[in-house]
Amino acid sequence: MASIPSQGKYKHLRACLLCSIVQQPTDFKKNGCPNCEEIMQMKGSTDRISVCTTTYFDGIIAVIDPESSWVARWQRTSKYVRGMYAVRVKGRVPEDVEVELENRGIKYRPRDQTDQD
Amino acid sequence: MLALQEDYSVNEQESVQPEDDEQMEEVTQREQQPKPRGSIYDPIDEEDEEDEEDEEDEEDEDEAEPGHRRKRAKRRHKRHVVNPFIDVEAEVDTEEEEDEEEDEAGGDEFIADTGADDYDINRRAAVNARLDRRERELNDHDLAQIAQNLHERYGRATVRYTGDMNEVPQRLLMPSVHDASLWQIRVKPGREKDIVFSLMRKAIDLEYTAQPLQILSAFQRDSLPGMIYVEARSAQQVNQACKGLVGIYPSRGILLVPIEEMASLLQIKKQDLTVTPGSWVRIKRGKYQGDLAQVMDITENGEDVGLKFIPRIDLNPRDDASVDGRKRKKAATGISNLRPPQRFFNYEEVVKVYGRKQVSKRNQVYVFQNDTYKDGFIEKDFKLTALQLENVNPTLDEITRFTRGQDGAEAETSIDLSIIAEASRKAAIAVLQPGDHVEVFEGEQSGVHGVVDSINQDVVTITAVGVDIDGQKVDVPARSVRKRFKPGDHVKVMTGQNADETGLVVSVSDNVVTFVSDMTMQEVSVFSKDLREAAEVGTGTNIVGNYELHDLVQLDLQTVGVIFKTERDSFRVLDQNGQVRLVQPHQISMRRDSLRAIATDSEGHELRVNDNVREIEGENRKGRVLHIHQSFFAFLHNRDVPENGGVFVTRCRSLASLAPKGNVLKPGTDLTKMNPHVAGGATTGGMVGSAMTRGPRDRDIGATVAIIQGPQKGYIGIIRDTNGPSARVELHTGNKIVTIDKKKLYRKLPNGTLMPLDKPYNPNWGTQAQSRPPARTPNPYTQASGGRTPGWGGGRTPNPYATGDGKTPAWNAGSRTPNPYASDGGKTPAWNAASRTPNPYADGGKTPAWNASSRTPNPYGSNDSGSAWSANDGSRTPRPGWGGGGWDTGNAGWGNASPARPAEAESWTAPTPAAAPTPGFLPAQTPGVWNSAPTPMPTGIGGLERPSVGAHSAPTPAALGADDDDTSPMWLLDPAIQNKNVIMEIAGTLGGWRGGELDGVQGYVTTVFQSANDTLVTLNYLDPGRVGTNVQVPIRYLSPVNAKEVGDHAVPLDGTLKGIEVILRNQVSDSVWEVSKPSDFTSDRYLEEKLVKIHFFLYSGIFVWDVALSVGNLVRFKRPVGRVTPEGHPGYGGYWPEYRAAKEGDSRCSCPALNAMANHGIIARSGRGIKFTELTETIRPTYNFSPSFCSFVPHFAAFMLNKSYSKDTFDLEELDLHSRNGIEHDASLTRLDSAFQPKQGEKYVPYIEELLSSATGNDGSLMTIKDMSRILSKRRAESKANNPQYSLSFFHKMFGSAKIFGGRVNDLRSVLLDERLPDQWESRVREPYGLTLLAFNRTVLPVEWGIDESKWAGVTQREGGQA
Repeated sequence: MASIPSQGKYKHLRACLLCSIVQQPTDFKKNGCPNCEEIMQMKGSTDRISVCTTTYFDGIIAVIDPESSWVARWQRTSKYVRGMYAVRVKGRVPEDVEVELENRGIKYRPRDQTDQD
Repeated sequence: MLALQEDYSVNEQESVQPEDDEQMEEVTQREQQPKPRGSIYDPIDEEDEEDEEDEEDEEDEDEAEPGHRRKRAKRRHKRHVVNPFIDVEAEVDTEEEEDEEEDEAGGDEFIADTGADDYDINRRAAVNARLDRRERELNDHDLAQIAQNLHERYGRATVRYTGDMNEVPQRLLMPSVHDASLWQIRVKPGREKDIVFSLMRKAIDLEYTAQPLQILSAFQRDSLPGMIYVEARSAQQVNQACKGLVGIYPSRGILLVPIEEMASLLQIKKQDLTVTPGSWVRIKRGKYQGDLAQVMDITENGEDVGLKFIPRIDLNPRDDASVDGRKRKKAATGISNLRPPQRFFNYEEVVKVYGRKQVSKRNQVYVFQNDTYKDGFIEKDFKLTALQLENVNPTLDEITRFTRGQDGAEAETSIDLSIIAEASRKAAIAVLQPGDHVEVFEGEQSGVHGVVDSINQDVVTITAVGVDIDGQKVDVPARSVRKRFKPGDHVKVMTGQNADETGLVVSVSDNVVTFVSDMTMQEVSVFSKDLREAAEVGTGTNIVGNYELHDLVQLDLQTVGVIFKTERDSFRVLDQNGQVRLVQPHQISMRRDSLRAIATDSEGHELRVNDNVREIEGENRKGRVLHIHQSFFAFLHNRDVPENGGVFVTRCRSLASLAPKGNVLKPGTDLTKMNPHVAGGATTGGMVGSAMTRGPRDRDIGATVAIIQGPQKGYIGIIRDTNGPSARVELHTGNKIVTIDKKKLYRKLPNGTLMPLDKPYNPNWGTQAQSRPPARTPNPYTQASGGRTPGWGGGRTPNPYATGDGKTPAWNAGSRTPNPYASDGGKTPAWNAASRTPNPYADGGKTPAWNASSRTPNPYGSNDSGSAWSANDGSRTPRPGWGGGGWDTGNAGWGNASPARPAEAESWTAPTPAAAPTPGFLPAQTPGVWNSAPTPMPTGIGGLERPSVGAHSAPTPAALGADDDDTSPMWLLDPAIQNKNVIMEIAGTLGGWRGGELDGVQGYVTTVFQSANDTLVTLNYLDPGRVGTNVQVPIRYLSPVNAKEVGDHAVPLDGTLKGIEVILRNQVSDSVWEVSKPSDFTSDRYLEEKLVKIHFFLYSGIFVWDVALSVGNLVRFKRPVGRVTPEGHPGYGGYWPEYRAAKEGDSRCSCPALNAMANHGIIARSGRGIKFTELTETIRPTYNFSPSFCSFVPHFAAFMLNKSYSKDTFDLEELDLHSRNGIEHDASLTRLDSAFQPKQGEKYVPYIEELLSSATGNDGSLMTIKDMSRILSKRRAESKANNPQYSLSFFHKMFGSAKIFGGRVNDLRSVLLDERLPDQWESRVREPYGLTLLAFNRTVLPVEWGIDESKWAGVTQREGGQA
């Protein structure tokens, strides 16, 4: 369960570049990314947050039931926690994360809908 | 060891992270790593978790060897991780029997061990071996159990990122029929995000309640404003989710998104706005809003953009140095209402203003107020969202400025047009048109030029011109061509700030065309895409709004300027400080006039506008003075000056006149007197000349206007000021001044009508001209005197007012009217207009204002109105002097009247040209007298003791049929009288209004309203036939009905009791009454004419009810009642529904008509539970009564029964409630009196037989009015004699008689006896609206009048005695 930004605080929302979850910067700092903290390592690091998340995203999804939601499946967030996700996030994860993903044999899919197959 | 430790650390991280058992298993099995600690330390953990903390300190201290490892370890693992050796020892020593003591001992041991550095490789290998073994053992353990424990303990720990879904191709994720659907819902635009968040929160809140939200997800797209999409299995679930949220409109439809469109909703891509270094953007907000900036760099995540642009440094900061000597505040406070102009950063300037400390220099960069400045530009980071990336459209000006740089001297030729070429190229495609001359500037065909043949999207087909492919058609990409102009072409600018300018091309360089403007004779450079060839010479209007080129305009309190260039909707203004401003018309507060302004030039000569002068210092420019401002600044104009359209500003004192002035100073002239600055000090200097005038004063200022559009619609106010197309209106309400478009204002005339503001209007005649209807009455003189005067031979008063459009100023109308008397115009004052009237006696200029009224077509001559007059007025107002209908008799009659005039003259205050004692004066004078009558308060009329005056006050002007307001009882408009239900009579309509149909009808007035042309009075009929209805009567046809009997209720028209209801108490003399208020008896005396009878309500309700019901009661045909029963209704074609006589228990009333309806089943056969509304609907088609009848009957029935008309029902017998004045009455022709037969529903056959047999018409087959009168008188006399309770009010009489008006005996028999509608019966008369009240009444009254009970008195008594 990701933290849901409270009302009226939608201005500075940031979206994770890897999993596209949308949170307040403070939440990223406090708890990291609820889905990919292990690889993004944002917790407590403002710098890290600024490179791993972005404000440049479009469309907000409230994923209430990730397991059965087609929207979540389409967005590839079915296995992630409930919460707010961006439809489209511009930008790529930092290089180290990309390398790490490669090392683990995980295909990196940018969230900007550039490669849709 | 190091490797081992690394492994551990990795393992440890992994081992504590698993979220569930499966993952744990998977992880542990897949990775071939020793994985012991979880299990090893499990027991410990289980036993003493608290101890961990205790031991932390201890562990923190000993970091000597394993410190680096600990760093990466998480706190809770410290202990385990830190002591691999203990682990080892423990395993080796005690296997699984570790306990607390041992643990602590182990700690001790560890410390001891760390001290010893005799570990060797072998030892480590051994450890490894053990660990491996250990792992193998562990694999046999219940891993699930372990994982469970871990999960419980570290449940919140982050999950390993697997990206397991990333391998699936997107196309396999397409929705299937098994997936939930997407539903589109409308929301308030701008609230999409909020609502998606709200849905999420709501879902969480309700998760564990009885009714959790069943939606799966919801999302919003920025590119789809005003809607969100919710994923759910059914619309119902969506609806439930939307409940209680604000700004979401499920009521506007929850639309299912087709499955094939679902994916595309999530694939919508915004136009990707790529920002590359070097591109142009605009800043959206803040001090630099709208400013052009160039991108220098972009941060990695694309959020922040480094920009370079021209700074706006406030070089006149407000001095905020406070008393306590604190430092000046930052310039942030300086961002007041005015933002500083764009100006390149200049170190010296800034230092001068802000001090050296504020600016620091690093390398080539200055830092000032936290901003960096380089080469005069400010370099600053902006968020991408704060930038406008689209439609930047940098203008040539801006770019030139940019590239010119700080020194401003760099050659303009170095403009890097490629910067904006891209943008312009895109636009260029759109502006191409077939027939355009273009040239290809890139690609293979580069250099080819030709004429555009056709355009197909991005491909342009051109017919090449010249060279070797002449005439061939070539396809080229649209972006590769540009419009081609050559020097000498005449072009017109299509878009941009130079739009509409035309000129001759002088040079072409790539896509920049320079032409000489026809208007300004200046060179203008524009992009070729903005040009087209044009033959016409641009007019390029110089007027925008109310302002014109070279106008002196006030910009703000301190600033004035001269417009030197008008653009499409803005101006370039050069202010007195030499600054150029771009202003919109609305920013100009007013235009100023300096025509009379005077200043002194350098030689002490007078300097005026339009003088040709020369500067004596500076650039020695020559010019013509356009304006002088405050005697100090002179705005000059010289076409030869290239800047600012030739307008420049200078000080007057630095000017010298080119033409020597005549008024060379005489010796001894005190210059100081001429120099306002010296003479009067600064205080007076300012206002000499160039006063704050605003040119011609707007005539509309001060006008009372009504707002006809916009939020203030309907408000009334006064124009206080106008500025161009807008006006400042002070509203009557709220004391507010609003600025509003003049188009939304209509002038409100004193009489309440509105007219457009731009129509000419002269308040002096406006009211009359507007309200006066065209004179319709034929000029009476024509008839009376046979057209003696050619001027009015037309029979129409040549009244200029009649046109009403106000085109002719009234005053000189005399000259235009074919009026023989116009010749006296010179002598007559303004009101000479009167001479237009065929009044030969108005001459000599003696005619006072009142005479104007003689314009009124004199009604006296008209035969119709004449008779009306004598009939109505003569009879009512005793006025001996007039001799009754003496009007018709001509001059003789007038003669009588004339002697009376002088007597009253004083009270009229010169009302009539009475002085002229010619016999003919009468016609002339009469109008005057009559006119004054309607004026609510003729002076002196209140003098009650003078009956002679009253005699002339003529309260019935309308009776004369005068077609003019002046003769109407305008006092009705007086609110004090208006709602008093005064009784008026319609008169003077014979041959006129409604063909005189209503002439003589009386009624009481409920409302009076003035429309533009007329004043309409709602007159409620008083006569029984029409009571309850009303009619709108033009006020001029009304004359008051005066109270004439003691006890009458009346309203005095003037005096102290004006408008107060009084009762006539005592007649003092012929026409004077003593009256008093109903409540007290202090009496007052009034003229009878001044007492208008009022309608005194008492029984009107019952009356109306009775009359109305009588209608329902009497419907006996023969008398053609109206049109045929409508199709679809029972009785159509004479076929009535089956007749069934009333059964026992059915409800019937005394009215055969209603009973008949019940018997035929047109209403409920039982006669019970009938809706009033139903009755309304059925009576009409059945008996063809007028709608008014039909609604009265049930309405009043409901009222009398104290029921709701719209909801309740009634039984027929209820209508007969005698005690309540129901429809039943004594002396009925068909019923026994209620004293003898309480059930009035039962008919009394003998009576009916008697009635039918009494018919005499047509050999006994037709009942006549006479018959009915006779039989009814008999019945009444009988009743009176025999029934001690006999009661029959007037109303009952009415309705009793109405009940039996003539008819065919056969039909009557059927209806009255059987209460059955005769077969094939149907109305024969085709009056469209059925039987009206009026028609009905005409029948009833004769019956009533024919009744003579006395004739029967003896008979019935005798009969009664026999009974």
